Amino acid sequence: MTGKSASEHETKPVDPESLELAPGTKHEILEGWVPTLASEQETIEALEKAFDYRGDVTITRKDGPVVEGYIFDRRTGSSLAESFVRLFPKDSSEKMTIAYSEIAGLAFTGKDRAAGASWEAWVKKWNEKRSAGEKGFGLHPEKLD
Amino acid sequence: MAVPISQMWTVATYVLKKRLSGQKRYPLVLMLEPLFRCNLACAGCGKIQYPAHILKKELSPEECFRAVEECGAPMVSIPGGEPLMHPRIVEIVEGLVARKKYIYLCTNALLLKEKIHQFKPSKYLTFSVHLDGQREHHDFSVCREGGYDQAVAGIREAVKRGFRVTTNTTLFDGADANSVRAFFSEVMSMGVEGIVLSPGYSYDKAPDQKHFLGRARTRRLFRAILSNRDREWKFNMSPLFLEFLMGKRHYQCTPWGAPAYNIFGWQKPCYLLQDGYASTFSELMETTVWEEYGTESGNPKCANCMVSCGYEPSAVHDTFGSFRGFLSTVRATLFNRYEDHGARDLLNEPYSGAVPASSPLVQIVSDSRREFEETRV
Repeated sequence: MTGKSASEHETKPVDPESLELAPGTKHEILEGWVPTLASEQETIEALEKAFDYRGDVTITRKDGPVVEGYIFDRRTGSSLAESFVRLFPKDSSEKMTIAYSEIAGLAFTGKDRAAGASWEAWVKKWNEKRSAGEKGFGLHPEKLD
Repeated sequence: MAVPISQMWTVATYVLKKRLSGQKRYPLVLMLEPLFRCNLACAGCGKIQYPAHILKKELSPEECFRAVEECGAPMVSIPGGEPLMHPRIVEIVEGLVARKKYIYLCTNALLLKEKIHQFKPSKYLTFSVHLDGQREHHDFSVCREGGYDQAVAGIREAVKRGFRVTTNTTLFDGADANSVRAFFSEVMSMGVEGIVLSPGYSYDKAPDQKHFLGRARTRRLFRAILSNRDREWKFNMSPLFLEFLMGKRHYQCTPWGAPAYNIFGWQKPCYLLQDGYASTFSELMETTVWEEYGTESGNPKCANCMVSCGYEPSAVHDTFGSFRGFLSTVRATLFNRYEDHGARDLLNEPYSGAVPASSPLVQIVSDSRREFEETRV
Protein backbone atom coordinates (compact mmCIF):
# COMPACT_ATOMS: atom_id res chain seq x y z
CA MET A 1 0.00 0.00 0.00
CA THR A 2 1.42 3.35 -0.97
CA GLY A 3 -1.05 5.85 0.37
CA LYS A 4 -1.58 7.22 -3.13
CA SER A 5 -4.98 7.31 -4.74
CA ALA A 6 -5.52 4.62 -7.28
CA SER A 7 -6.05 7.05 -10.13
CA GLU A 8 -2.85 8.98 -9.57
CA HIS A 9 -0.43 6.54 -11.08
CA GLU A 10 -2.73 5.09 -13.70
CA THR A 11 -3.17 8.28 -15.69
CA LYS A 12 -1.21 8.49 -18.92
CA PRO A 13 1.89 10.67 -18.65
CA VAL A 14 1.47 14.08 -20.21
CA ASP A 15 4.01 16.55 -21.49
CA PRO A 16 3.22 19.26 -18.97
CA GLU A 17 5.08 21.95 -20.88
CA SER A 18 2.76 21.64 -23.86
CA LEU A 19 -0.48 21.74 -21.90
CA GLU A 20 -2.82 24.40 -23.19
CA LEU A 21 -5.71 23.64 -20.89
CA ALA A 22 -5.39 21.57 -17.77
CA PRO A 23 -7.79 18.67 -17.96
CA GLY A 24 -10.43 19.08 -15.29
CA THR A 25 -11.63 16.31 -13.05
CA LYS A 26 -14.79 14.39 -13.84
CA HIS A 27 -16.74 14.28 -10.65
CA GLU A 28 -17.58 10.78 -9.43
CA ILE A 29 -21.03 10.45 -7.90
CA LEU A 30 -20.53 8.71 -4.58
CA GLU A 31 -23.32 10.11 -2.46
CA GLY A 32 -25.43 7.24 -1.17
CA TRP A 33 -22.88 4.59 -2.12
CA VAL A 34 -22.47 1.65 0.23
CA PRO A 35 -19.37 -0.23 -0.90
CA THR A 36 -18.80 -3.85 -0.09
CA LEU A 37 -15.71 -4.40 2.02
CA ALA A 38 -15.32 -8.12 1.46
CA SER A 39 -11.66 -8.08 0.52
CA GLU A 40 -8.59 -6.12 1.55
CA GLN A 41 -8.46 -4.49 -1.89
CA GLU A 42 -12.11 -3.41 -1.72
CA THR A 43 -11.57 -1.93 1.72
CA ILE A 44 -8.52 0.03 0.63
CA GLU A 45 -10.18 1.37 -2.50
CA ALA A 46 -13.39 2.34 -0.72
CA LEU A 47 -11.55 4.15 2.07
CA GLU A 48 -9.39 5.99 -0.46
CA LYS A 49 -12.58 7.27 -2.06
CA ALA A 50 -13.97 8.14 1.36
CA PHE A 51 -10.82 10.16 2.06
CA ASP A 52 -11.34 12.09 -1.18
CA TYR A 53 -15.07 12.56 -0.57
CA ARG A 54 -16.23 16.04 0.48
CA GLY A 55 -19.12 14.86 2.59
CA ASP A 56 -19.70 12.85 5.75
CA VAL A 57 -19.52 9.09 5.76
CA THR A 58 -20.87 6.57 8.23
CA ILE A 59 -18.53 3.90 9.55
CA THR A 60 -19.79 0.81 11.35
CA ARG A 61 -17.10 -0.72 13.52
CA LYS A 62 -16.72 -4.46 13.88
CA ASP A 63 -17.36 -4.17 17.61
CA GLY A 64 -20.69 -2.44 16.99
CA PRO A 65 -20.47 1.37 17.34
CA VAL A 66 -21.44 3.57 14.42
CA VAL A 67 -19.59 6.84 13.70
CA GLU A 68 -20.72 9.50 11.28
CA GLY A 69 -18.14 12.10 10.32
CA TYR A 70 -15.74 13.63 7.84
CA ILE A 71 -12.60 11.68 6.90
CA PHE A 72 -9.73 14.11 6.41
CA ASP A 73 -6.78 11.74 6.43
CA ARG A 74 -5.77 8.18 5.82
CA ARG A 75 -2.47 6.57 6.62
CA THR A 76 -1.75 3.31 4.93
CA GLY A 77 0.61 0.68 6.26
CA SER A 78 1.55 -2.83 5.28
CA SER A 79 -1.74 -4.35 6.46
CA LEU A 80 -5.30 -3.32 7.28
CA ALA A 81 -4.40 -3.36 10.97
CA GLU A 82 -1.61 -0.88 10.31
CA SER A 83 -3.73 1.40 8.15
CA PHE A 84 -5.95 4.11 9.60
CA VAL A 85 -8.49 6.74 8.71
CA ARG A 86 -8.67 9.92 10.74
CA LEU A 87 -11.95 11.80 10.96
CA PHE A 88 -13.88 14.51 12.71
CA PRO A 89 -17.11 12.93 14.02
CA LYS A 90 -20.12 15.04 13.16
CA ASP A 91 -20.92 15.80 16.78
CA SER A 92 -17.42 16.27 18.18
CA SER A 93 -14.41 18.52 17.81
CA GLU A 94 -12.03 15.71 18.76
CA LYS A 95 -10.23 13.88 15.96
CA MET A 96 -10.78 10.13 15.89
CA THR A 97 -8.57 7.39 14.44
CA ILE A 98 -9.96 4.06 13.24
CA ALA A 99 -7.93 1.17 11.86
CA TYR A 100 -9.06 -0.24 8.51
CA SER A 101 -9.20 -3.66 10.14
CA GLU A 102 -11.84 -2.42 12.63
CA ILE A 103 -14.24 -1.27 9.92
CA ALA A 104 -17.19 -3.55 9.11
CA GLY A 105 -19.23 -1.12 7.04
CA LEU A 106 -18.90 2.16 5.19
CA ALA A 107 -21.60 4.34 3.67
CA PHE A 108 -21.35 7.68 1.87
CA THR A 109 -24.27 9.14 3.79
CA GLY A 110 -23.54 12.86 3.82
CA LYS A 111 -24.21 15.30 1.02
CA ASP A 112 -21.30 15.63 -1.40
CA ARG A 113 -20.37 19.28 -0.97
CA ALA A 114 -18.23 19.28 -4.10
CA ALA A 115 -21.15 18.30 -6.32
CA GLY A 116 -23.94 20.40 -7.65
CA ALA A 117 -22.57 23.90 -8.15
CA SER A 118 -21.81 24.07 -11.83
CA TRP A 119 -20.01 26.62 -13.93
CA GLU A 120 -22.64 26.36 -16.64
CA ALA A 121 -25.37 27.26 -14.15
CA TRP A 122 -23.42 30.34 -13.10
CA VAL A 123 -22.85 31.50 -16.69
CA LYS A 124 -26.59 31.11 -17.39
CA LYS A 125 -27.49 33.02 -14.24
CA TRP A 126 -24.96 35.77 -15.04
CA ASN A 127 -26.37 36.26 -18.52
CA GLU A 128 -30.00 36.25 -17.39
CA LYS A 129 -29.58 38.56 -14.42
CA ARG A 130 -27.36 41.03 -16.23
CA SER A 131 -29.76 41.19 -19.15
CA ALA A 132 -32.51 41.98 -16.66
CA GLY A 133 -30.36 44.72 -15.09
CA GLU A 134 -30.33 43.05 -11.66
CA LYS A 135 -27.74 43.94 -9.04
CA GLY A 136 -26.13 42.05 -6.20
CA PHE A 137 -26.85 38.56 -7.50
CA GLY A 138 -24.40 35.73 -7.16
CA LEU A 139 -23.69 32.24 -5.97
CA HIS A 140 -23.80 31.97 -2.21
CA PRO A 141 -22.25 29.44 0.14
CA GLU A 142 -24.70 26.97 1.59
CA LYS A 143 -26.21 27.72 4.99
CA LEU A 144 -24.35 26.07 7.84
CA ASP A 145 -27.41 24.91 9.75
CA MET B 1 10.01 46.20 -6.31
CA ALA B 2 7.19 46.88 -3.85
CA VAL B 3 8.37 44.79 -0.91
CA PRO B 4 9.75 47.02 1.87
CA ILE B 5 13.47 46.86 2.64
CA SER B 6 12.92 45.56 6.19
CA GLN B 7 10.90 42.62 4.88
CA MET B 8 13.45 41.87 2.18
CA TRP B 9 16.21 41.97 4.78
CA THR B 10 14.32 39.63 7.10
CA VAL B 11 13.70 37.11 4.33
CA ALA B 12 17.23 37.40 2.93
CA THR B 13 18.92 36.82 6.29
CA TYR B 14 16.55 33.94 7.05
CA VAL B 15 17.33 32.21 3.75
CA LEU B 16 21.07 32.81 4.04
CA LYS B 17 21.12 31.41 7.58
CA LYS B 18 19.30 28.31 6.42
CA ARG B 19 21.67 27.84 3.51
CA LEU B 20 24.77 28.41 5.62
CA SER B 21 23.52 25.86 8.12
CA GLY B 22 23.21 23.35 5.29
CA GLN B 23 19.43 22.96 5.61
CA LYS B 24 18.08 21.83 2.26
CA ARG B 25 14.36 22.09 2.93
CA TYR B 26 12.88 24.95 4.86
CA PRO B 27 9.67 26.98 4.65
CA LEU B 28 9.49 30.58 3.50
CA VAL B 29 5.80 31.30 4.05
CA LEU B 30 3.38 29.53 6.35
CA MET B 31 -0.06 29.25 4.79
CA LEU B 32 -2.21 29.49 7.90
CA GLU B 33 -5.84 28.65 7.20
CA PRO B 34 -7.75 29.45 10.39
CA LEU B 35 -11.09 28.38 8.89
CA PHE B 36 -12.65 27.12 5.66
CA ARG B 37 -15.82 29.20 5.94
CA CYS B 38 -16.27 31.82 3.23
CA ASN B 39 -18.82 34.42 2.21
CA LEU B 40 -18.18 33.81 -1.48
CA ALA B 41 -18.59 30.68 -3.60
CA CYS B 42 -16.06 31.25 -6.40
CA ALA B 43 -16.21 28.97 -9.41
CA GLY B 44 -12.48 28.24 -9.44
CA CYS B 45 -12.09 27.58 -5.73
CA GLY B 46 -11.85 24.08 -4.30
CA LYS B 47 -11.16 25.12 -0.71
CA ILE B 48 -14.54 25.46 0.91
CA GLN B 49 -16.56 22.41 -0.10
CA TYR B 50 -17.01 20.74 3.29
CA PRO B 51 -19.89 19.61 5.52
CA ALA B 52 -21.29 22.30 7.82
CA HIS B 53 -19.67 20.90 10.98
CA ILE B 54 -16.25 21.26 9.32
CA LEU B 55 -17.01 24.78 8.09
CA LYS B 56 -17.99 25.77 11.61
CA LYS B 57 -14.63 24.71 13.00
CA GLU B 58 -11.76 27.16 13.31
CA LEU B 59 -8.26 27.33 14.70
CA SER B 60 -7.87 29.10 18.02
CA PRO B 61 -5.27 31.89 18.31
CA GLU B 62 -3.18 29.55 20.47
CA GLU B 63 -3.22 26.87 17.77
CA CYS B 64 -2.19 29.48 15.21
CA PHE B 65 0.71 30.71 17.35
CA ARG B 66 1.89 27.16 18.01
CA ALA B 67 1.92 26.42 14.27
CA VAL B 68 3.77 29.64 13.49
CA GLU B 69 6.44 28.88 16.05
CA GLU B 70 6.74 25.25 14.97
CA CYS B 71 7.19 26.28 11.35
CA GLY B 72 9.52 29.23 11.90
CA ALA B 73 8.90 30.87 8.51
CA PRO B 74 9.40 34.65 8.48
CA MET B 75 6.17 35.27 6.55
CA VAL B 76 2.64 34.08 7.29
CA SER B 77 -0.10 34.14 4.72
CA ILE B 78 -3.61 33.86 6.16
CA PRO B 79 -5.98 32.57 3.49
CA GLY B 80 -9.05 30.47 4.11
CA GLY B 81 -11.99 30.55 3.77
CA GLU B 82 -12.43 34.21 4.53
CA PRO B 83 -10.23 35.12 7.50
CA LEU B 84 -12.29 38.19 8.39
CA MET B 85 -15.15 35.80 9.26
CA HIS B 86 -13.02 34.32 12.06
CA PRO B 87 -14.33 35.80 15.33
CA ARG B 88 -10.80 36.05 16.79
CA ILE B 89 -8.88 37.15 13.71
CA VAL B 90 -7.77 40.41 15.35
CA GLU B 91 -6.23 38.46 18.22
CA ILE B 92 -4.49 36.15 15.76
CA VAL B 93 -3.06 39.05 13.77
CA GLU B 94 -1.91 40.92 16.87
CA GLY B 95 -0.17 37.79 18.15
CA LEU B 96 1.67 37.34 14.87
CA VAL B 97 2.67 41.00 14.73
CA ALA B 98 4.05 40.64 18.26
CA ARG B 99 6.12 37.73 16.94
CA LYS B 100 7.41 39.98 14.13
CA LYS B 101 6.00 37.84 11.36
CA TYR B 102 5.21 39.50 8.05
CA ILE B 103 1.53 38.74 7.58
CA TYR B 104 -0.46 38.68 4.36
CA LEU B 105 -4.10 38.54 5.39
CA CYS B 106 -5.81 37.30 2.22
CA THR B 107 -9.35 38.61 2.06
CA ASN B 108 -12.08 39.09 -0.48
CA ALA B 109 -12.62 42.39 1.40
CA LEU B 110 -16.40 42.08 1.54
CA LEU B 111 -16.07 42.69 5.30
CA LEU B 112 -12.95 44.84 5.26
CA LYS B 113 -14.58 48.24 5.48
CA GLU B 114 -16.75 47.04 8.35
CA LYS B 115 -13.89 45.47 10.34
CA ILE B 116 -10.86 47.59 9.50
CA HIS B 117 -11.20 49.73 12.63
CA GLN B 118 -10.36 46.67 14.74
CA PHE B 119 -6.85 46.41 13.26
CA LYS B 120 -3.79 48.61 13.81
CA PRO B 121 -1.50 49.53 10.92
CA SER B 122 1.89 47.85 11.11
CA LYS B 123 4.76 47.19 8.76
CA TYR B 124 4.14 43.51 9.55
CA LEU B 125 0.53 43.50 8.40
CA THR B 126 -0.61 43.59 4.77
CA PHE B 127 -4.17 43.15 3.59
CA SER B 128 -3.91 41.11 0.42
CA VAL B 129 -7.19 41.76 -1.32
CA HIS B 130 -8.48 39.18 -3.74
CA LEU B 131 -9.35 40.96 -6.97
CA ASP B 132 -9.41 38.89 -10.14
CA GLY B 133 -9.49 41.81 -12.57
CA GLN B 134 -11.61 44.75 -13.57
CA ARG B 135 -15.16 45.03 -12.22
CA GLU B 136 -16.93 42.74 -14.65
CA HIS B 137 -14.14 40.15 -14.73
CA HIS B 138 -13.84 40.06 -10.95
CA ASP B 139 -17.58 39.81 -10.33
CA PHE B 140 -17.91 37.06 -12.90
CA SER B 141 -14.92 35.19 -11.51
CA VAL B 142 -16.02 35.29 -7.87
CA CYS B 143 -19.66 34.70 -8.79
CA ARG B 144 -20.94 37.85 -7.07
CA GLU B 145 -22.23 40.91 -8.83
CA GLY B 146 -21.09 43.96 -6.85
CA GLY B 147 -18.14 42.16 -5.26
CA TYR B 148 -15.59 44.37 -6.99
CA ASP B 149 -17.12 47.60 -5.69
CA GLN B 150 -17.21 46.27 -2.14
CA ALA B 151 -13.60 45.12 -2.34
CA VAL B 152 -12.43 48.43 -3.77
CA ALA B 153 -14.25 50.31 -1.00
CA GLY B 154 -12.35 48.15 1.49
CA ILE B 155 -9.04 48.80 -0.25
CA ARG B 156 -9.58 52.56 -0.26
CA GLU B 157 -10.48 52.56 3.42
CA ALA B 158 -7.45 50.46 4.35
CA VAL B 159 -5.09 52.64 2.30
CA LYS B 160 -6.62 55.77 3.85
CA ARG B 161 -5.96 54.38 7.33
CA GLY B 162 -2.31 53.71 6.55
CA PHE B 163 -2.36 49.94 6.12
CA ARG B 164 -0.17 48.07 3.71
CA VAL B 165 -2.44 46.75 0.94
CA THR B 166 -1.74 44.55 -2.05
CA THR B 167 -4.10 43.02 -4.53
CA ASN B 168 -4.06 39.30 -5.17
CA THR B 169 -5.18 38.09 -8.59
CA THR B 170 -5.76 34.54 -9.79
CA LEU B 171 -6.00 34.02 -13.52
CA PHE B 172 -7.81 31.29 -15.40
CA ASP B 173 -8.22 30.39 -19.03
CA GLY B 174 -10.08 33.11 -20.87
CA ALA B 175 -8.45 35.90 -18.87
CA ASP B 176 -8.35 39.06 -20.91
CA ALA B 177 -4.74 40.25 -21.02
CA ASN B 178 -5.57 43.83 -22.02
CA SER B 179 -8.13 44.08 -19.26
CA VAL B 180 -5.66 42.65 -16.74
CA ARG B 181 -3.11 45.29 -17.74
CA ALA B 182 -5.70 48.04 -17.38
CA PHE B 183 -6.63 46.56 -14.02
CA PHE B 184 -3.00 46.82 -12.85
CA SER B 185 -3.04 50.54 -13.60
CA GLU B 186 -6.39 50.93 -11.82
CA VAL B 187 -5.26 49.26 -8.61
CA MET B 188 -1.94 51.10 -8.53
CA SER B 189 -3.91 54.35 -8.73
CA MET B 190 -5.81 53.28 -5.58
CA GLY B 191 -2.56 53.51 -3.65
CA VAL B 192 -1.86 49.82 -3.14
CA GLU B 193 1.71 48.81 -2.39
CA GLY B 194 1.88 46.22 -5.11
CA ILE B 195 0.23 43.47 -7.07
CA VAL B 196 0.35 39.73 -6.44
CA LEU B 197 -0.76 37.34 -9.15
CA SER B 198 -0.73 33.69 -10.02
CA PRO B 199 -2.36 31.25 -12.38
CA GLY B 200 -5.12 29.27 -10.68
CA TYR B 201 -4.60 25.71 -9.54
CA SER B 202 -6.82 23.01 -11.02
CA TYR B 203 -8.65 22.08 -7.82
CA ASP B 204 -10.53 18.87 -8.48
CA LYS B 205 -13.32 20.03 -6.15
CA ALA B 206 -13.89 23.41 -7.83
CA PRO B 207 -17.23 23.91 -9.61
CA ASP B 208 -15.54 25.04 -12.82
CA GLN B 209 -13.34 22.30 -14.28
CA LYS B 210 -12.99 23.81 -17.74
CA HIS B 211 -10.87 26.92 -17.31
CA PHE B 212 -7.65 25.82 -15.67
CA LEU B 213 -4.65 27.10 -17.58
CA GLY B 214 -2.13 24.62 -18.88
CA ARG B 215 1.54 25.52 -18.70
CA ALA B 216 1.92 26.56 -22.34
CA ARG B 217 -1.05 28.88 -22.20
CA THR B 218 0.00 30.21 -18.80
CA ARG B 219 3.36 31.30 -20.19
CA ARG B 220 1.75 32.96 -23.20
CA LEU B 221 -0.83 34.77 -21.09
CA PHE B 222 1.71 36.05 -18.59
CA ARG B 223 4.12 37.02 -21.35
CA ALA B 224 1.35 39.16 -22.87
CA ILE B 225 0.44 40.66 -19.52
CA LEU B 226 3.85 41.22 -17.98
CA SER B 227 5.89 42.37 -20.99
CA ASN B 228 6.01 46.04 -21.94
CA ARG B 229 5.16 47.03 -18.39
CA ASP B 230 3.90 50.41 -17.36
CA ARG B 231 6.30 52.22 -15.05
CA GLU B 232 3.78 52.60 -12.24
CA TRP B 233 3.11 48.87 -11.86
CA LYS B 234 4.70 47.34 -8.80
CA PHE B 235 4.66 43.67 -7.94
CA ASN B 236 4.86 42.38 -4.41
CA MET B 237 6.54 39.23 -5.66
CA SER B 238 9.88 37.78 -6.62
CA PRO B 239 10.83 39.24 -10.02
CA LEU B 240 12.31 35.87 -10.97
CA PHE B 241 8.98 34.19 -10.30
CA LEU B 242 7.36 36.64 -12.71
CA GLU B 243 10.01 35.71 -15.29
CA PHE B 244 9.14 32.07 -14.66
CA LEU B 245 5.49 32.79 -15.43
CA MET B 246 6.53 34.59 -18.62
CA GLY B 247 8.46 31.53 -19.78
CA LYS B 248 11.88 33.08 -19.30
CA ARG B 249 13.00 30.70 -16.57
CA HIS B 250 12.52 27.11 -15.60
CA TYR B 251 12.08 26.13 -11.96
CA GLN B 252 11.18 22.98 -10.14
CA CYS B 253 8.48 23.10 -7.52
CA THR B 254 9.42 23.70 -3.88
CA PRO B 255 6.35 22.21 -2.19
CA TRP B 256 7.81 22.61 1.31
CA GLY B 257 8.38 26.33 0.67
CA ALA B 258 4.83 27.27 1.66
CA PRO B 259 3.45 24.62 4.02
CA ALA B 260 -0.20 24.81 5.01
CA TYR B 261 -1.72 24.39 8.45
CA ASN B 262 -5.44 24.18 9.12
CA ILE B 263 -7.99 22.46 11.36
CA PHE B 264 -6.91 19.06 10.02
CA GLY B 265 -3.20 19.59 10.75
CA TRP B 266 -0.18 20.07 8.47
CA GLN B 267 -1.33 19.44 4.93
CA LYS B 268 0.67 17.05 2.76
CA PRO B 269 2.39 18.01 0.57
CA CYS B 270 1.45 21.63 -0.01
CA TYR B 271 -1.22 24.30 0.18
CA LEU B 272 -2.95 23.05 -2.98
CA LEU B 273 -2.90 19.27 -2.78
CA GLN B 274 -4.50 17.27 0.00
CA ASP B 275 -2.71 13.97 0.30
CA GLY B 276 -3.20 13.61 4.02
CA TYR B 277 -2.15 15.45 7.14
CA ALA B 278 0.74 15.36 9.59
CA SER B 279 0.27 16.14 13.26
CA THR B 280 3.44 18.21 13.56
CA PHE B 281 5.55 20.32 11.24
CA SER B 282 8.53 18.00 11.79
CA GLU B 283 6.39 15.03 10.83
CA LEU B 284 5.31 16.85 7.67
CA MET B 285 8.90 17.56 6.66
CA GLU B 286 10.20 14.10 7.54
CA THR B 287 7.42 11.82 6.32
CA THR B 288 6.29 13.49 3.11
CA VAL B 289 7.74 11.76 0.06
CA TRP B 290 8.62 15.04 -1.67
CA GLU B 291 9.88 13.30 -4.80
CA GLU B 292 6.29 12.30 -5.61
CA TYR B 293 5.26 15.93 -6.16
CA GLY B 294 6.05 18.72 -8.59
CA THR B 295 5.73 18.75 -12.35
CA GLU B 296 8.94 16.79 -12.83
CA SER B 297 7.64 13.95 -10.66
CA GLY B 298 5.07 12.99 -13.30
CA ASN B 299 2.31 13.29 -10.72
CA PRO B 300 -0.70 14.31 -12.85
CA LYS B 301 -2.07 16.46 -10.03
CA CYS B 302 1.04 18.64 -10.37
CA ALA B 303 1.26 18.56 -14.17
CA ASN B 304 -0.07 22.00 -14.98
CA CYS B 305 0.79 23.78 -11.77
CA MET B 306 2.78 27.02 -11.91
CA VAL B 307 1.24 28.48 -8.77
CA SER B 308 3.15 30.92 -6.59
CA CYS B 309 3.07 28.80 -3.43
CA GLY B 310 5.23 26.15 -5.11
CA TYR B 311 7.34 28.17 -7.49
CA GLU B 312 7.90 31.53 -5.82
CA PRO B 313 9.96 29.85 -3.07
CA SER B 314 12.04 28.29 -5.88
CA ALA B 315 12.64 31.77 -7.29
CA VAL B 316 13.61 33.12 -3.88
CA HIS B 317 16.04 30.26 -3.37
CA ASP B 318 17.51 31.08 -6.77
CA THR B 319 17.99 34.70 -5.74
CA PHE B 320 19.89 33.84 -2.60
CA GLY B 321 21.41 30.57 -3.74
CA SER B 322 24.05 31.89 -6.08
CA PHE B 323 25.72 35.10 -7.17
CA ARG B 324 24.20 34.54 -10.61
CA GLY B 325 20.72 34.28 -9.15
CA PHE B 326 21.27 37.41 -7.12
CA LEU B 327 22.52 39.32 -10.17
CA SER B 328 19.51 38.13 -12.16
CA THR B 329 17.23 39.48 -9.46
CA VAL B 330 19.00 42.83 -9.42
CA ARG B 331 18.77 43.00 -13.20
CA ALA B 332 15.09 42.03 -13.17
CA THR B 333 14.42 44.71 -10.56
CA LEU B 334 16.27 47.49 -12.35
CA PHE B 335 15.33 46.63 -15.93
CA ASN B 336 11.73 45.66 -15.44
CA ARG B 337 9.98 46.91 -18.55
CA TYR B 338 10.48 43.73 -20.63
CA GLU B 339 10.05 45.27 -24.07
CA ASP B 340 8.68 42.53 -26.31
CA HIS B 341 7.09 43.12 -29.73
CA GLY B 342 5.78 39.56 -29.88
CA ALA B 343 3.92 40.13 -26.63
CA ARG B 344 2.34 43.27 -28.12
CA ASP B 345 1.13 41.14 -31.01
CA LEU B 346 -0.49 38.78 -28.54
CA LEU B 347 -2.40 41.72 -27.08
CA ASN B 348 -3.79 42.55 -30.50
CA GLU B 349 -5.39 39.17 -31.02
CA PRO B 350 -9.19 39.13 -30.71
CA TYR B 351 -10.67 38.24 -27.33
CA SER B 352 -13.27 35.56 -26.86
CA GLY B 353 -12.62 34.75 -23.27
CA ALA B 354 -14.45 33.56 -20.21
CA VAL B 355 -16.62 36.56 -19.40
CA PRO B 356 -19.71 36.51 -21.59
CA ALA B 357 -19.50 40.20 -22.36
CA SER B 358 -18.82 42.42 -25.32
CA SER B 359 -15.32 43.51 -24.30
CA PRO B 360 -13.39 43.79 -27.59
CA LEU B 361 -10.21 42.56 -26.02
CA VAL B 362 -7.82 39.67 -26.20
CA GLN B 363 -7.83 35.92 -26.46
CA ILE B 364 -4.44 34.37 -26.02
CA VAL B 365 -4.52 31.56 -28.52
CA SER B 366 -1.74 30.49 -30.81
CA ASP B 367 0.53 27.55 -31.34
CA SER B 368 1.76 26.61 -27.89
CA ARG B 369 5.04 24.92 -28.72
CA ARG B 370 6.21 27.79 -30.91
CA GLU B 371 5.48 30.33 -28.19
CA PHE B 372 7.22 28.22 -25.59
CA GLU B 373 10.37 28.04 -27.68
CA GLU B 374 10.22 31.76 -28.21
CA THR B 375 9.78 32.69 -24.61
CA ARG B 376 11.78 30.18 -22.65
CA VAL B 377 15.36 31.05 -21.73
